[in-house]
Amino acid sequence: MHRAPHVHDDLLLDAYLAEHRGDAMDPPVADHLADCAACGGRYVELAALMDDLRREGETDADAIFTPERLRAQQQQIARRIEHVGRPARVISFPSRIVRRTIGASASRTPPRWIAAAAAAGLFVGVAVGASYEWSGRRVPAAAFARDTSVRPSPAAVRGSTADDVNDTAFLLDLELALERPHTRELQAFDALTPHVREVRDQR
Amino acid sequence: MSGDYRPAPVDTPELNDAAGQPSAGARGRRAPAALSEDSRLAVEIRGLVERGEMDDARDRFGALVAMHQRRASRIAYQYLRDASDADEAVQDAFVRVFSHIGTYREAWPFDVWFTRILINGCLDRQKTRNRRDRWFTTTDVSSADEARAASASVASDPEHRLLARERRAKMAAAIDRLDGRQRTVFMLCHYGDCTPREISAMTGLNESTVRVHLFRAVRKLRGLLGGQP
Repeated sequence: MHRAPHVHDDLLLDAYLAEHRGDAMDPPVADHLADCAACGGRYVELAALMDDLRREGETDADAIFTPERLRAQQQQIARRIEHVGRPARVISFPSRIVRRTIGASASRTPPRWIAAAAAAGLFVGVAVGASYEWSGRRVPAAAFARDTSVRPSPAAVRGSTADDVNDTAFLLDLELALERPHTRELQAFDALTPHVREVRDQR
Repeated sequence: MSGDYRPAPVDTPELNDAAGQPSAGARGRRAPAALSEDSRLAVEIRGLVERGEMDDARDRFGALVAMHQRRASRIAYQYLRDASDADEAVQDAFVRVFSHIGTYREAWPFDVWFTRILINGCLDRQKTRNRRDRWFTTTDVSSADEARAASASVASDPEHRLLARERRAKMAAAIDRLDGRQRTVFMLCHYGDCTPREISAMTGLNESTVRVHLFRAVRKLRGLLGGQP
C-alpha cells in the first residue's frame, strides 16, 4: 500500500496555529497526523515547544504587569490624554506671574514696622559712624599742630655742627637735583623732605 | 533585535489611503468583515472627537485601553525586556492612538492599527537604548523585574523557581537571537495572537513571507532550545 509522505514542518506549524486559534485543521494534514505516529510525535513536540514558549512568556509578563500596575498605567494614560485636543495654554508672562508672586509673598511679609525700624537703625548707624569718623579726623590734626608747636626739632636739641653741615650738604644736593631737568621721580621725596631754607629759618 | 526591521508607518497609504480603503496590495488579502467590538469603539471615539465631544471620547477611550492593555504590555515586554520601557511604550502607543484617532479607518481591525503603532514605538525605544548602550555601561535593567517575576511565580519551591527562571532566561535568549523580521513575526503571532494575515497587514509583508519568517523562527528556536531543528 502506498503511504503518503510525511507532513512538512511548515504544515505542522500551520496546523498548530489553526488549532490554537480554534480553527479547523487542514483535513488531509489532520488525517495524516492521526495515522502517522512519527508525524503525530513531531506535532506533539512542536506543540509542546510552542505552548512552553507562550506560557513562559505570558507568565513572565503577567508577573510584572500585575492588575495594580495595569490600573496605574490606565490612569497615567487618562492623565496624558487629558491635554489632547485642548488648545495650548498660553502663559502670560510676566504680569500674571509677577502679580501672583507678589500676592503670595505679601502674605508672608513681616509687618511694616519691622522694615521701618530696620531703616531707622540703618540711618542712625550711618549717622553715628559718620560723626565719629569726622571727630576722629579732627582730633589728631589738632594734636599734631600742638605737638609741632611745643616740641623742639631733634637737630636743635642736639646742636651738633658736624651733623648740621652734613644735613645741609645733603639737602642742598637734593634741591640741586630737583632743579635739574627729568627729575620728576624725585618730586615725591621733595614733598616729604624739609627744604634747607625752612631748616635755616627754624634755627 | 539584530536587524532594524520596522513595520510601515502608521498612516501609510497601504493601510489608509485617501478613501480609507486598503491599497491594491492589501485589498486582496482581507475582505471587509463585520466590525469587531474594539473597532466599533474606535469608530465611535473618532466620531466623538470629530464632533468635539472630547470628554465623552476620553471616557470611551478608557474602555478601549482596558481591552488591549494586557496584550499590549505582553508584546512590549517581549520586545523590550524591560518593564519600565514596556510600560512607557504602551502608554505612548495609546496616547498616540488617541491623538490620531481621526486617521483610523475601519477597513482594518483596530488591533492591527494599534499593534503597528505599538511595534513602531518599541522599535524606536530599542534603537534609542542601543545608541545609549553604546556610550554607557549597561546594567542589568531587568534584574529587578526578573526577581519580581520569580517571586510572583506560582512555584513556591526555590528549586522550581530557579529552574523556571533559568528556563525563561534560556527562552528569552533564544528569541533574542532571532533576526529582526523573524522576531517581529514570531512575537506578533505568539504573544500578540495575530494571524499571519494580520501580521501581513501590520508589517506590510506579504502573507506568504510572514509564514516563511514564522516557520524559520520556529525552526531556529527549536534548534536553539535543544529540540529538533
